[in-house]
Amino acid sequence: MIEMLNIHKSFNGIPVLKGVSLLAKAGRIHALVGENGAGKSTLIKTMAGVIQPDSGTLRLGGQTLRWRTPGEAKSQGVHVIYQEFVQFAELSVAENIFMGDKRLSPGGFLKRKEMNLRAADLLAKLGVQLDPTARVGDLSVADQQMVEIAKALSHKVQVLILDEPTAVISGQEVELLFDRLRQLRAEGVAIIYVSHRLEEIFQLCDDITVIKDGERVGTRLVSEIDQAQLVGMMVGRQLADLYPARRKREQPGEVVLTASDIRSGARVKGCSLRLRRGEITALAGMIGSGRTELAMALFGAQPLDAGSITVNGADVARMTPGLAIGLGIGLLTEDRKKEGLAMLLDVAANVTAAHLDEVTRQGMLDRGAERRIAEQAIAQYSIACRGPATSVALMSGGNQQKVLLARWARTATSVLILDEPTRGVDVGAKADIYRMMHEAADKGLAILMISSELLEVVGMAERVLVMRDGRISGELVGEGISEEAIMTLATKAHDAGIQRAAQVAEEAGVPA
Amino acid sequence: MHTTTRIPMASKDTSASVKNLLRENTLLLAIVLLLAVAGSFAPAIFKPENLANMALQFAPLGIVVLGQTLVILVRGLDLSVSSVMATSAVIATSFSGHNADLVWILPLALGTGALVGVANGLLVTKRNVSPFLATLATMIMLQGARNAWTQGAPSGNVPPLLRDIGAGMTQGIPNNAFPLIGIAVLAYVLLHQSTFGRRMYLVGGSPNAARLVGIAVDRVTITAYVLSGVLAAISGVILSGYVSVVDNWVGKNFELDSIVAAVMGGIALSGGKGGVPGALLGAAILVLLSNAVVIVGLPIHIQLVMKGFIIVAAAALYVAKSKVRS
Amino acid sequence: MTTSHPNPAAADVRAASKKTSAWFQGNERLVVVVVLLLLLLATGSFVSERFRHLGNLQNVYEQSVGLALVSAGQTMVVLTGGIDLSVGSMISLMSVLTSGLIDGNPERVVWVVAGVLALGLLLGAMNGALTLWLGIHPLIVTLGTGAALQGLTLLYSSDSAGSVPPEFEYMAYGRILGFPVGATVTLLVFAGLAHLLHATRQGRYVYAVGGDPHAATLMGLPTRRVLVSVYAFSGLCAAITALYVVSRFGVGQPYTGANYTLASVTPVVIGGTMLSGGKGGLMGTLLGVYLMGLLNNVLNFMDISSHFQLVIQGLIVVIAVSSFHGRKAQPV
Repeated sequence: MIEMLNIHKSFNGIPVLKGVSLLAKAGRIHALVGENGAGKSTLIKTMAGVIQPDSGTLRLGGQTLRWRTPGEAKSQGVHVIYQEFVQFAELSVAENIFMGDKRLSPGGFLKRKEMNLRAADLLAKLGVQLDPTARVGDLSVADQQMVEIAKALSHKVQVLILDEPTAVISGQEVELLFDRLRQLRAEGVAIIYVSHRLEEIFQLCDDITVIKDGERVGTRLVSEIDQAQLVGMMVGRQLADLYPARRKREQPGEVVLTASDIRSGARVKGCSLRLRRGEITALAGMIGSGRTELAMALFGAQPLDAGSITVNGADVARMTPGLAIGLGIGLLTEDRKKEGLAMLLDVAANVTAAHLDEVTRQGMLDRGAERRIAEQAIAQYSIACRGPATSVALMSGGNQQKVLLARWARTATSVLILDEPTRGVDVGAKADIYRMMHEAADKGLAILMISSELLEVVGMAERVLVMRDGRISGELVGEGISEEAIMTLATKAHDAGIQRAAQVAEEAGVPA
Repeated sequence: MHTTTRIPMASKDTSASVKNLLRENTLLLAIVLLLAVAGSFAPAIFKPENLANMALQFAPLGIVVLGQTLVILVRGLDLSVSSVMATSAVIATSFSGHNADLVWILPLALGTGALVGVANGLLVTKRNVSPFLATLATMIMLQGARNAWTQGAPSGNVPPLLRDIGAGMTQGIPNNAFPLIGIAVLAYVLLHQSTFGRRMYLVGGSPNAARLVGIAVDRVTITAYVLSGVLAAISGVILSGYVSVVDNWVGKNFELDSIVAAVMGGIALSGGKGGVPGALLGAAILVLLSNAVVIVGLPIHIQLVMKGFIIVAAAALYVAKSKVRS
Repeated sequence: MTTSHPNPAAADVRAASKKTSAWFQGNERLVVVVVLLLLLLATGSFVSERFRHLGNLQNVYEQSVGLALVSAGQTMVVLTGGIDLSVGSMISLMSVLTSGLIDGNPERVVWVVAGVLALGLLLGAMNGALTLWLGIHPLIVTLGTGAALQGLTLLYSSDSAGSVPPEFEYMAYGRILGFPVGATVTLLVFAGLAHLLHATRQGRYVYAVGGDPHAATLMGLPTRRVLVSVYAFSGLCAAITALYVVSRFGVGQPYTGANYTLASVTPVVIGGTMLSGGKGGLMGTLLGVYLMGLLNNVLNFMDISSHFQLVIQGLIVVIAVSSFHGRKAQPV
């Protein structure tokens, strides 16, 4: 069993873990739950030796230890399966599994035959059949995850930590994973399972610890708690408090954007939707279901392979971001640092970035006008900064997001697409952002909000489109919107059986 | 929490200001100090002949550095500048040697520079070639073409007007300063005052983010390379006047020098940061340092050693500073 | 109800052909290079019958030795996602040091050779250490150290330096069992290195560090050791090349390495090793070297002036490197 006692950790003076304790027993699956930014990731990294805690104790099997490198943690049997796999796409499955493993490379020389055999063996134990010489980059994400787990299992595992493992797999693959984990539990491994998919936790886990704002809220037996109580612990407030009151639904506004059978890239396999003025539509679904890609396709950031987009009644032949902006569409991207903000520039430059024509006179920038626009935005959206000339890199996540919203609020006159608008945003700013969304909708914008937080979807949306595997698997309206309904559509568990049968038939060469 | 009153503090923005620049560039400060020290050891540096000599060297480098700055700003690199300069010089001497030839020389030289720029830009944007390789390739190809044209033995005379501009002085100011000033002003307006300049900074800061606000990233990038090529061509034409005897190697080392000068001037090789005053300051410092080395009596090859150190030191300092900031 | 049994043999064939086509897709660059080589051979034989003479082909092979040696080291560096722009200056420095220090004295040969090889290792390690310590992209670091080293070279000697005893030319002109020494050494070096890269744990580290440095660190791989090693290795290759050059010309000259720097990157890139690292290998580089050598040879036979050869060389680089799949932009 592994025990963390009173762990403190700060980054640049900002405390991330404020005295967290956790006890994960052998032969049990312990869930670790908490919102974004609660500190789960940091806690895991401390357990795995990636980060050194500022203070606190770590005990493994009763022995107090201190790890300076991930290697030391691994040698003691603590392994982590991260959300972003630690793999090398160009190398083979066996090479990845045994990378750095001195046991299979005495004197430096690799024993390839043995590596391949052992790799196939490990994977077979996980119920997977993969060619050990296959290039990892060619594998499906689910298979890559299996390689990742096989990597951990190639050593003696005492503690296995999984960080959002089902973010990238679904349906049958999840069931398989759960079977493996139960198997490992039976063998005495202590498993720590980090997830925000509450239904999975109730299905799989024995114990649960809730972390909020760097502190442990509590530890319970899964059998002693229900979803509502759990949510209460995670959020710490009633649902109603966080979200502004549901807007009075008048006549649904006119349809401003219609998408028909959109196919784009590998992830979007045929989606149709209609966005109405004044309505907040949420796009829900598991990670990997293609929501961001659909948004990108609607905005013209990704080319359409098939299908059509109609805006304000006019068909758009080939959408580009420039065209979209001209049509009054705005896109708040998922990754604000890499795809949204101009990190090297200031607030004023960021607010005007999507509509430079507004501050251009005869090709020259009207800095005075730009400053005025920025000042107005700062006041209107309560952006905490020293002024329009503040560098956005110095601002908090919530304020950065507000800057981006201010940018798009200026140019979006038809549709505003928001991809995870409150990710990495503190609670206070979240409330502000929700208010901004309502104001925008009241002004007549159609809002499409992509969100992975079920509570947010339930609290904010008037209509929910659920995506699964590149298609829209269902639509929920008004009273029909609930976490269970969304989750059901997002996972469509009952379809998995049919899929599996078809797969088996194909491999056997029998017409399904 | 929000502030309704703004505290008038110095802002970390991209607008150009020398004070801001010096504050941000401790390296420059260090070098300025070094120069002061060198000056006290060998006051000969400040003798009018030496100053005039240095002034003459400043313009050709300054013009190229401005072009290189534009390219580096959009996350590129232009190694072909030396080749473009040499080609322009060859063009300048390929005619009869009369001033009338300028009617042909200028469009041909600038056209070549622009063409090379287009080639570089297309390779980088449409074919995804790394700027290093792309400009390297065009540099080689241009060199080959040029050698084939001159058959390895360049000859010819420079029109007297070019000689005047390239090597002459008016009231103690080198004539080549005038085109430099003109170009510098235009560059400043373009980069720091026009909307196109803002687009360049957006592209350099994050090409993805720029694309998602509707900026034609490829077009901006190609324009940067074209401008660099044109400026290199202008510099080559001016330099041919200074050298007056045609040398196939006019412009040699300018690609390295322009990068060193840009880096010293605070232009980040990662893109999106830096400006015209920095570029010019960097060029000036480089000229001063190179000459100081010779005047103080050190063997000329120390210049190379010094440039090497500067590149590494400047880049290291920038990395250190961005680490502190984040 | 009918059931058809899956045919195991058919499944095997399908699996095998799937694997072959996968190999082709992953190594498309190699295939292109081999095809180009064959095309060149064909063109050459068509253009002139002298081309096909074994003596001519052997000549091409021998002339590529210097470039091949330095490109081997460059390949290792590029595999880790870096680049070594100081190799030319290192070659210059070490060639003048070689002939300058030996200065015609046969007794000194062994010491100087050993010293130069050690110096190469050291200078290379310095490049690697600087890159790590300062946290700057190796392009900039090696650009800087290259400039500095070239300056130091010129300080030591601004013209040809010293001389070497006639026995020294053995490396470039000697023969073992009828095969030219230099070319044989090259092949051995490449074969040995390729084997190391493929068959050892540390060799896999090189690919790992180049493929995903972050993942490599997370896995606790000795990334720093790997990086310093590949640069040290590049320095060593530069040293060997310097020795070869001195052997070939009888004396070291301060500008001798100037062309090698950029020329060493070309065959690496043509041969399929990505500048972003993690993919490619030595075999491709060697083929790339021969491709370039053969190209020059064919162009000579076609009486195309050396000036145009430069143009065509540049074109080849561009064509070989152009990404036809819109891959993500390269970092440098």
